[in-house]
Parts: sequence; C-alpha cells; structure tokens
Amino acid sequence: MNWDHYMEKRRKPLSEKGLREKISQILKEVDVVISWKMGFDPIHATPHFIRDEKEIEESVFNVFCVHNLTTYLPFMKEKVGIVVKGCDSRTLVQFIQEGLITRENLKIIGIPCSGVVDVKKIMEEIGESPVLQAEILDNSSLKIRTLDGEKFFQIDSVLAQKCKTCRYPTPLIYDHLIGEPIKSQIGWDKAYEDVTEFDKKTLEEKLSFWKKEFEKCIRCYACRNACPLCVCQDRCIAESRDPHFVSQKLELPEKFMFHFIHAIHLAGRCVECGECERACPMGIPVKMMKKKINYEMKQLFDYETGINVDDKPPMYTFKVEEEKIKEHEL
Amino acid sequence: MGLKNPYLPDIVTITKVIQETPNIKSFQVVFDDPEKMKSFTFQPGQVGQLSVFGVGESTFVINSPPTRKEYLQFSVMKVGEVTSAIHELHEGDKMGLRAPLGNWFPYENMKGKNILFIGGGIGLAPLRTLILFMLDNRKDYGKITILYGARTPVDLCYKEDLKEWESREDLELILTVDNEYPGWTKKVGLVPNVLLEMAPKPDNTVAITCGPPIMIKYTLIALDKLGFKDEDVITTLERRMKCGIGLCGRCNIGSKYVCKDGPVFSLAQLKSLPQEE
Amino acid sequence: MGRNGFLRKDRLEAYLNNLSKKGGLYVPKEEKGAIVFRKYSGVSELSLKKPATTPAKSIIYLQSETFFRFMFEKEGNGLDKVNVRIQENMDQEIRIIFGARPCDAKGFSVIDRVFIDTDTQDVYYKKRRENSYIATKSCDSPSSGCFCISVGGGPFDEEGSDAQFTEINGGYLIEAITEKGNIFLESELLEPGETYLEEKRKRKEEVERLVKEYCERVGKIEPLSPKLRLFSDEDFWKKHLSKCLSCGVCTYLCPTCYCFNITDEKTFYEGERIRSWDSCMFFHFTLEASGHNPRPDKFKRFRNRVGHKFMFYPERYSGQIACCGCGRCVRFCPVSVDIREIVLELMKSEEGGRE
Repeated sequence: MNWDHYMEKRRKPLSEKGLREKISQILKEVDVVISWKMGFDPIHATPHFIRDEKEIEESVFNVFCVHNLTTYLPFMKEKVGIVVKGCDSRTLVQFIQEGLITRENLKIIGIPCSGVVDVKKIMEEIGESPVLQAEILDNSSLKIRTLDGEKFFQIDSVLAQKCKTCRYPTPLIYDHLIGEPIKSQIGWDKAYEDVTEFDKKTLEEKLSFWKKEFEKCIRCYACRNACPLCVCQDRCIAESRDPHFVSQKLELPEKFMFHFIHAIHLAGRCVECGECERACPMGIPVKMMKKKINYEMKQLFDYETGINVDDKPPMYTFKVEEEKIKEHEL
Repeated sequence: MGLKNPYLPDIVTITKVIQETPNIKSFQVVFDDPEKMKSFTFQPGQVGQLSVFGVGESTFVINSPPTRKEYLQFSVMKVGEVTSAIHELHEGDKMGLRAPLGNWFPYENMKGKNILFIGGGIGLAPLRTLILFMLDNRKDYGKITILYGARTPVDLCYKEDLKEWESREDLELILTVDNEYPGWTKKVGLVPNVLLEMAPKPDNTVAITCGPPIMIKYTLIALDKLGFKDEDVITTLERRMKCGIGLCGRCNIGSKYVCKDGPVFSLAQLKSLPQEE
Repeated sequence: MGRNGFLRKDRLEAYLNNLSKKGGLYVPKEEKGAIVFRKYSGVSELSLKKPATTPAKSIIYLQSETFFRFMFEKEGNGLDKVNVRIQENMDQEIRIIFGARPCDAKGFSVIDRVFIDTDTQDVYYKKRRENSYIATKSCDSPSSGCFCISVGGGPFDEEGSDAQFTEINGGYLIEAITEKGNIFLESELLEPGETYLEEKRKRKEEVERLVKEYCERVGKIEPLSPKLRLFSDEDFWKKHLSKCLSCGVCTYLCPTCYCFNITDEKTFYEGERIRSWDSCMFFHFTLEASGHNPRPDKFKRFRNRVGHKFMFYPERYSGQIACCGCGRCVRFCPVSVDIREIVLELMKSEEGGRE
C-alpha cells in the first residue's frame, strides 16, 4: 500500500518549547498536568504527572508518545490538565457523552499529530540489543544506535497501524492548540478496509485465524486495563464469581468468552485509540474485533464514537422503532 | 503414599447446626474417617479451611477447644459466596476441611497470669476456644475476665455459653450492647468505651482481643491508655486467604503471612511490621 | 558421555528430534508478534535469538491446573445421603525445556524455595520440577531493560539450570551442570567439547563485560531494609505510580512471580478445584467478603510488590532477592514503569538501606 499522500501536511515539527510554555500556563489553574517525558530508554516515552514547575522541563512530544493519557481521568478527583493527540481527544469526547468526567475540571492542550511509531515493530527489527541512543532526523526518519551498531528507519515504515488510517489527526476538543491543524485525506471506507477485507474470509477461515491468535493469550488483562473506556475493571466478568460466567482455566472457550464480552461491552464506546493492542504483550490484534463492532455500529445506528459531545451512545438509549433494525420481519 | 498433599481436604460431615444470631451459624462437624477423628490434634487459635465443593473455601477458627474432641465447631457469618453456601447446609451434609493451619495462642506463656478477653460480635469465636481451654485447665491461670459486646442482644453469639459463664464463680463476664435495646438491662456502650470504664489493671495481665477491625483499632488504643504493654496484648487477624499454607502470596503483612505466621499476633509483633493501612 | 559436548548447527534438528523422544520437549517458538514456549515440532519456528516473551515458568508452574476432581455420589439407599469423593490429579509428564535463559532458570530457584523448601510442600509443583530438565542458552548480549548482574545473576549464570549451551563457532557447546543435565549429552550427534571451552570462556568474559556495562547505571541491588522511611512515604509511591494502569502484565511475564488463586468449578454432580495464576496488582487480590480491602490503592499494591521482591522474600530466605533481572516488566509495561528506578531511589535513601 502506498501511504504517501495521506496527510495534507507531513510531519510538521512541533515546538516542544511552545508546549512547555502552555503547560506552565495551565499549571496555575489545575492541580496536575498529565503529559509525556522520556522513559527507560530512548525509544520509550512514559506518562508524566506534573505537579511542580520544575517538572515541566522534562516534558516532550515526539513520535514515541504513544500512550493515551486520558485513561487516568475517570478516577481522578482533582483539577487536571492533559495533553492529547487527535485519537486521545476522541476518548475525551466519549467520556463527556457518558458523564465519566467533568469538563469544567479539565484543561485540554491539543496537539495535531502526524502519527506515532509502533515501538514493538522497531524493537523486533533491532533484535535483542538494547537501544543506547535515538535521534529523529528531519522529521521523517529515525537513527537508532544499539550495541550492535546503527540502524535507520523511515518513520512511515514503522508507523503505528492505527495512524495509517487516522481520520482525526487534529484534536476534536481542546482549550489550547499547539501547532497547525492537520487534515486527513482518509475516508471512512478506507479506514475500515481491514474490516471489510477480513469479512471476505469464510467462517472457517475466520475461526481458524482467531483460534491461532488466542492460543497466545495469557489472560493477563492488559488489554482491559489499558482501555480508557473500560471502567468496570475491578469487577470484571472474567474474574467474577457472582455472576459466574468464566472459569479460571486457560483454554480457548474461556479466552473467547472474555474477549468477545469485552468487545461487546465496548460497542458504541470504543474510540479505536489502540491501547489494547499496544498493551498486549503477545501481539494479538485485539483492536480488530472492536473495529468490526464499530463498523456495525455505523451501519445500524449511523453512529461514530467520540466525535460530538452532544451525541448519545446508541447502547445507552433506545428508540421504539429503530430505522435500520427490522425486528418485526420474520 | 508419599508426601501429604496439603491441598487435599478431608471430608467432614455436619452433625449439628446452631443458629447463633440472624446471620451467624455454628456448625459441628466430625471427620468421616474415624482414624482421622481419633488422631486429630490442634491448638487453641488454629484455623481450618472449610470447603463447599463447587463453591470454594474459606478460613474459620476452630471454635471448640482441643480438650473437647467429640466434634469440631466452626462459626460462620454469612457475608459472601462461600459463607452463604455453607449457611444452606444441614445436618448430614458433607464439607471439606483442611486443618489445623496457622499458629495458636501462646497459652504456655500465659500460665499464672490474669487473662482479659475483649470480644466483639463474631470476634468471640476464636476467644471461645481459648476460654473453654482455660476453663478446662482452670488452675493454670489467674483471674479470668471476659468483656463481650455486640450491636444488639440478638447479635450476641454463644448465648448458651454466656448463660453458663455468667453463673460461674471462677470468671467475671461483662456483656454490653452498642445502644439501648428494649428488655436489655445490662451495660450499654461500645466495647472500647466500656473497657475504659472498667479500667482493668495491666499488672500481670494478658489482654486478648478479637472483633471487627474498627473495634480492634479502638480497643488497642484503650489498652495502651490503660498501660498494657505491647507484648501483653494479643489479637487474631483476618485477611482474604486461599492456600492457607503461606504459598499463594495473598495474605501477607510485610514478610509475615497471616495464614502461616498468624493469625495470632501480639501487638509488639504487629508494630514491627510495615504499617500498610 | 562426558560433562560437555559440541553440536554443529546443521545437526540441531536431528538432535532435538531425538531429545523429543525422551519426554515433552518445549522450545521457544516464534508466533507472529511473540516468542512462546511450545511443544517442539521442528526447527522452522524455533527462535533462540531473543529471550522469549513469556518466561519458561509456565511449563513447570502451570498457569491453570486441576488440583483434584470431586464427585457427588449417593450413599446407600437414603434419599438425602450424598457422599463426596475426591480424586487427586497428579501430573507425571517428563518435561524437557531447551532454550530458556539463565534468568528464567533463576526464577525457578526463587519459586523452589517457597513451594518446596517448606513443611507444606506444593506437591504438584514439586513433582513437575522433579520430572523436568532445563537447558538454558547463555546470552550473547544484554536485553533492553535487563539487569541480571545487579541482582546476583548473569548472562552465564547456572543457578536453576540442569545444562547450559553457548552459541559459538557455528554450533552450540552444551555443558551439563547437574546430574539431570546429562540427558542433554546423551546424543551421538555431539562431538567432544573440550576444544571449545577456551572459546566459551572468552565469550563469557566478553558478554559479562557488556552486560555489566549496561547494568552500570543500576549498580548492585541489595535487599532493602523494611525500616526504610521512604517505604511508608505515600507521596513517594504516588509520584512514581500515578501512571501505573494496574494491568498485571509485569506479574504475568515475571519469571519469579508465583501468586495464585484457587477456585472451584462444578457441573451438577462433579467438578474440580483449579489453581490459576493471580496478580497482586489487581484490586480484588486482597478484597475481603465484607468489602474491606487492605490495599485499595494501586500504589499500595505496587509498594507491596516491590516490598515482596526486595524486602520480605529476602527476610524469609537469607537475603535472596526474588527478582532475576530479566527486564520483562520494564520492556512490556504499557506505560514504562521502571522498577529499577524505584528500587534505586529506595536504596539511595538512608545510606543504602542495608539490613
């Protein structure tokens, strides 16, 4: 696939200084600002909770800032400032639709984003050796030095899967915007091409595909806990004894049960931020199931998650007569 | 046969069910294997894991003293999945039992001393074991005082035992309920407050307490105020348990496992552990 | 056969085919996005280049196993007399693990102390451990986030391994460490290994130097003192753990984590009691039936995890740290919580916090 002209503006350099100044400004109005700083090695960023002026210096924004920081919001009682990319902002919109956050207690810094990298892909290409240094060269390539030597990557070739079909590079909700807005050229059909392609497989092929993927699943629940919209984590059906639907065996039926229920619980709520797939240590494409359900949501209810704060998630309401569900037909 | 499998329960049959309070029942059980029943020994304060097969296991103190071995008694308060399932059982039903587990009251060190028991609600269960044990060895111990309270008179456990203890000359029983209650003529007040009122002397006395966490918290404060030394204050703790043998890593406080190094701890021991809460 | 042997790379498949006849052979396999230990089925998917995603722990300490089955049976002619019969489920399979890393093997010795060196032995784990043979591959380089040398391990560490093999000169030098390790040397495909020992010694020196350099920023980790003021300082933990998602990946991928749950499953007249891995990072781990929870906050749970690995376990087991330094928790944490950073800060406070 040629991903070349999918962005109107390619990878504009972001003023990190501008970002830090803005954080400093809103820190006066809130108790904590959630941003990113560099993590345990040069290709990992990590969420950074800033409560003090001194801590602003460390904050960064680059292609390694893959995390969806909004996941912390539903459990925080303080006044919070947060930095969001386009995909993250959809989570905020969805939170507001569901009443999971109070907009007045939130100060949002939006950053139009040209895409982040798939760190796992980079690590696979690099091999075992740890990364000693990483440099972003003229916003389009990475130079990574390990104990084995140097390796160059075109950022587009290691871009996260979700970024290749991103339709909302510019945050949909913000108090301050750092940088020029970016428009996407990807249409809805293109974005869901992977779903429609997969749908062409036979039932046997699909079952065989998922059986193979879920063999790897270790029921660690990283996908569940990384999901910002999954707020019933502490009382999850996968571990509940009352009601008792799933046993603690590590077998396919149990794994299917958990994953399918998780996906259904997110129907009309998943904003496709991709954190579930990123968190999975076994590389299982869990996002695809939720994407498929979002596809169906659009067909049935003409609804897309996380776009307008005034929308009502279709699973939260009902109409006596649904336009597209022919329930009275035999 | 090889090494004993500590996860395999023995089968026990319920011989009697006593409704102590609206939500507490006592179950008397015997081992199905008569050899096991004959050879079974335990110390006062030790616990057992009762299983309802298909539902799960839960930890309960062995409520009857080792000096009365016709049966083993467990008192169960109905709070969750397993305890609700146990409450559905009748005489003749089977359960699984893994016992004895944990440590026990250091009664050897208490010989010759005065004993002050302070219990609240179902907290009297572990204390009852030791009280009956001491009464069966009465001459080894000095003055025995029991302060026991519950929310209402209906919530007092072991009403038969309480009646018997009240009539005995060789121990002092003080009962209290949290608030005024029609027909109740004895003391009224929270257990820690009544304790302060009683103002027992700490000299040559060991205080043993068990009850709901909040009651224990204020009782320990009261005992400290009255001058009791940390080594002379004993309590039994509760935690969510699964294996009961110190392997599953769940019930720890610092490096100590409540199931294996406890559940009986002295206040001095507790203070040396990391204060988590 | 002697205590060592050399296997040429082109003979690896034949060697493993033979080995697989002696028992269940488990090797690390590449499976689209992860490397997992699976039953051997040919060298095409065998992957020894990187440490496996999930440690070899799950081969001997099963993630989910049945302790026993129980059956309800009518007793005699009484309508209401029901008896319960228990049937123990003991696993007798021989397990051969080829291609774990020294940190995996160290993990087993950490778990052995808890499950076997006690008067209430976990008979299931013990049996499986007795019937298992572990050959570890020595490392050729540090892995991202690893710090084995800091906790007393190393790329050529032998603790917990029955045999070790080093990749040199177009093949593998296999050396037996324990009596059991000789099972890896019972093959006619092996040549004498003496001539390769010098090469291996040089490789060992070189890799240990590389790993030591990489671990330098961490330094040597000693058991922490439980009296550390910083341990009870909530602000310290909140600062480091605000970003934790309480997801549990660190515990599921850790070679030394062993916490478990016991649950019953039943269908009408029979059922089983299952032991399954659990994680101290989950809210319900210590949740009592009354609703009370001694560790309701995620930072308290993480503090307990650090305490367990670096304070409480060493206290019970003569100073041994319950961490093998494999670095998986650092590599796979979705938000890059770095346990090394936290332990270092604890150590630096109060003059190293030695016991």
